[in-house]
Amino acid sequence: MNANETKYSAIDASCRVPLLALFGGAALWLIVGLGLAFLASLTFHMPEKFAGCPYFSYGRIEPAANDAIVYGFALPAALGVVLWIFARLGETELALPIVPIAAANIWNIGVLVGIVGILIGNSTGFAWLEFPRPASVLIFIAYLLIAISAFATFGARRERALQPAHWFLLAGLFWFPWIYSTANLFLVAWPVRGVTQAVIDWWFSNNLLFVCFGLLGLGTAFYLLSKISARPVQATNYALFAFWTFILFAPWCGMPQTAPIPAWLPAASGVASGLMVVPVIALCVVYLKTVYGAKVECKGGPYCHAKFATAAFILSALMLLCWGCPVFGKVVDLTWFGPSQVYMQLFGFFAIVVCAGIYESLAGVMGLELPFPVFVRFQHWAFMIGLALLVVPLAWCGVHQGFKMQDATIPFSDITQGTLMSLRVSSMGWLFLLLGSLMLAANIFVMTIKWHLGVVICVKDAITAPLETQEVKS
Amino acid sequence: MSNDVKTDLQASGKPQGSTVPVWIFAVTLVLLYIGGIYFDRNSGWFNAEVYAPYQTMEQLEAYQPKSGAAAMMAQGQRTYGMICAACHGDSGQGKPGQAPPLAGSEWVNAADFKEVAEIPQLGLNGEVHVEGQDWNQQMAPMGATLSDSDLAAVLTYIRGSWGNKGGAVEQDDVKALRTAVAGHPPINGEAGLKAIK
Amino acid sequence: MKSGFSVFLAAFIGLGLSWCGFVLGPVLQLGAGKQTMVLNSSEVYPNQRPGDATLGLQVYRAYGCAACHTTQVGQDGMICDVVLAGKNSAAVSNLVASLKLTGLTIDDAGLVSSKIAAAGGKMETHIIPVGADIARGWGMRHSVAEDFLWDNPVQLGSVRIGPDLANVGLRYDAAWEYQHLLDPKSQTPNSAMPPYKFLFESAAGGSGKLVPSEDAKNLVAYLLSLRVNVPLHDAPYSTVAPKK
Repeated sequence: MNANETKYSAIDASCRVPLLALFGGAALWLIVGLGLAFLASLTFHMPEKFAGCPYFSYGRIEPAANDAIVYGFALPAALGVVLWIFARLGETELALPIVPIAAANIWNIGVLVGIVGILIGNSTGFAWLEFPRPASVLIFIAYLLIAISAFATFGARRERALQPAHWFLLAGLFWFPWIYSTANLFLVAWPVRGVTQAVIDWWFSNNLLFVCFGLLGLGTAFYLLSKISARPVQATNYALFAFWTFILFAPWCGMPQTAPIPAWLPAASGVASGLMVVPVIALCVVYLKTVYGAKVECKGGPYCHAKFATAAFILSALMLLCWGCPVFGKVVDLTWFGPSQVYMQLFGFFAIVVCAGIYESLAGVMGLELPFPVFVRFQHWAFMIGLALLVVPLAWCGVHQGFKMQDATIPFSDITQGTLMSLRVSSMGWLFLLLGSLMLAANIFVMTIKWHLGVVICVKDAITAPLETQEVKS
Repeated sequence: MSNDVKTDLQASGKPQGSTVPVWIFAVTLVLLYIGGIYFDRNSGWFNAEVYAPYQTMEQLEAYQPKSGAAAMMAQGQRTYGMICAACHGDSGQGKPGQAPPLAGSEWVNAADFKEVAEIPQLGLNGEVHVEGQDWNQQMAPMGATLSDSDLAAVLTYIRGSWGNKGGAVEQDDVKALRTAVAGHPPINGEAGLKAIK
Repeated sequence: MKSGFSVFLAAFIGLGLSWCGFVLGPVLQLGAGKQTMVLNSSEVYPNQRPGDATLGLQVYRAYGCAACHTTQVGQDGMICDVVLAGKNSAAVSNLVASLKLTGLTIDDAGLVSSKIAAAGGKMETHIIPVGADIARGWGMRHSVAEDFLWDNPVQLGSVRIGPDLANVGLRYDAAWEYQHLLDPKSQTPNSAMPPYKFLFESAAGGSGKLVPSEDAKNLVAYLLSLRVNVPLHDAPYSTVAPKK
């Protein structure tokens, strides 16, 4: 083992328990969230199924599924990957490792309280913020703890120059506490009056799902694309430009064009959506130059995941542009097109890039081989198929819905009937995603068990080893 | 799983290139310009009352429905009840020592609406003869804060109720009158009323 | 970007600007929650919802009705109709027969009105909002901030899996609403809405009939209170039925 490998194995080992804690909980919540989402989509085919059970009415399990995926899986897994990236890029061991371990447990309790709260009817009523107050407080505290460890690791870095991944990840880490605290203070703790609530909720949703996840995911993607191909990120001048234009323009998207709010708000969002073309172009340049010179065999491994995810981000940004632009936005607002863009962002981009980070880090961090290496490729395929079955029908039926809604002679129930076929296909999509999540969980949990067993065996051997004897001279 | 021999930083390399090509700046500026034009046309310039599909406050004001005659009487009656009836009475009968009657008043029934319109707009004090009686009260400009539409409506109502036959007052006439008397002091007595042209 | 601090500064600027624009701005502009007046009237709008309707909003939130339903009406434009008022001479009637009187813009309506006035006629201009939602009978004009003034939390909805409910209190009565909650398909045969049987309980006395629970009563009271067909200064329309 050369010196580099020894250094990196020490760095990886320092991340072991924090990452296990974060990834393990995340994998579990992904299964729960996707399962709930599948159940929610069943409502459209078998409405009488849960007619007698208030806990499984669509209006409860759909937000519960969304929040389980975002707060239960996406954020903790991403934060785990960020901690690992900061440690590796900084060539320093993870700082304050006990803090993320405690935070992961607090986080899981918070998500549990939140999901149960939604299912029993205590949702706050705000999109992407439905967790009742105790849950959001726990999650916020846990986030701050993890951020402390991340910033401490960043501060202790040996190589002081910043990489493109650093810019995006640091900005992403900074983004979440501000938007989360603003949303919770202005909507839940001391609610503002009237439609201002909806404005702040839309601002929060866009900044969380598109901007914050965009920053964390792009940072992870840039790191993985360069690390695996052993080749730097190309066109970093474009990357810097993409970074600046993204954080200046993207936070202004998000106001729907048909909303009952003064005209300047949707107009500002319309302009911002148009301006999103600029960071998308810059990202395309960076992406193409970075990927099309690298000589990496794409075998369904983390490099494949990261490549696919970056392309999916560009697609999701274009979908957001369509949703937010003035003319087309008026047609597709309040249809399934909006949710399909969110799913593209969440599953096409964010979940896949985070899984790439998980797979890339897991073996090194644990010091063990992946128990089911073939699952990495199968999960990639399951996610891609699931994504296609989920996003494409919903986007298509959303556009159709939008155009049909413009014609008042078409009865509304006919329009909803017309969406049912697409919803059936999307249920299949949820199943494929669920299958992929089971494979991810299998790898993580079996590896955790193996490692625990290894620790137990080590301890047992140490205890049962014969004591050293010394000759006693009389 | 990859086998990295280089360090992550050797792989990442130092950031390359220091300047962003001009063409993408140009694209950004063009888009900002187009966006600016769009915002100028469609935002109502941050006015809280302008909602899509209205584009400007002027357009919103143009599309305010002007009341028909019956609606004007109803609007005037509501405004009268809110602002005038407390002193002038529910049927315009006036209250001794407080406000002169409006029913049958020669000032209300005058052909030219300007005198009766300027009283709520500017206020009136000093001695006035109304229906053979002397009145010397002070009236604040109660109508100055009403909209053109409301003031025209209440004047129309007063001039058309309780036997008055003074004729309707148009919203545009009220607007012109307000511009003409802007900044004038309260009317002083009957002499001041008679001086109105 | 040379240091962590410069990245922090960049993110602070980006997020701060949008926070000022989309959080601080709307709170300062709309957050005072001022009531407004109904157009051409001294009525204040909106009034607070009655007590059981306010509880019903919490039931609406707890069951996530906003996941499928919206409560916001959109509008695409405005047209004007010029309508003769009162008695008019034969000359005016002849003139009017040759003019286009419906579906005008405000400027054209002004031209037509002045032509009629020059001929000595009396007319009114009716303002009529148009749009897909309005054509569906979901409302008379677009929704505005005042419509949601007293609601906490505001449940605008984001997807129309079910129809818009902004004026549902004007379309249906309590009996219809109860039946719809119990079994949507009995009233809308191809409805995708699941039945909400758990909102109903057996009547006391074992008669086997179903009666609405407290939650159902409050929810229906809230639904019946959803009516926003009132002309306002920022959503004007003429309150006379346009002649078709």
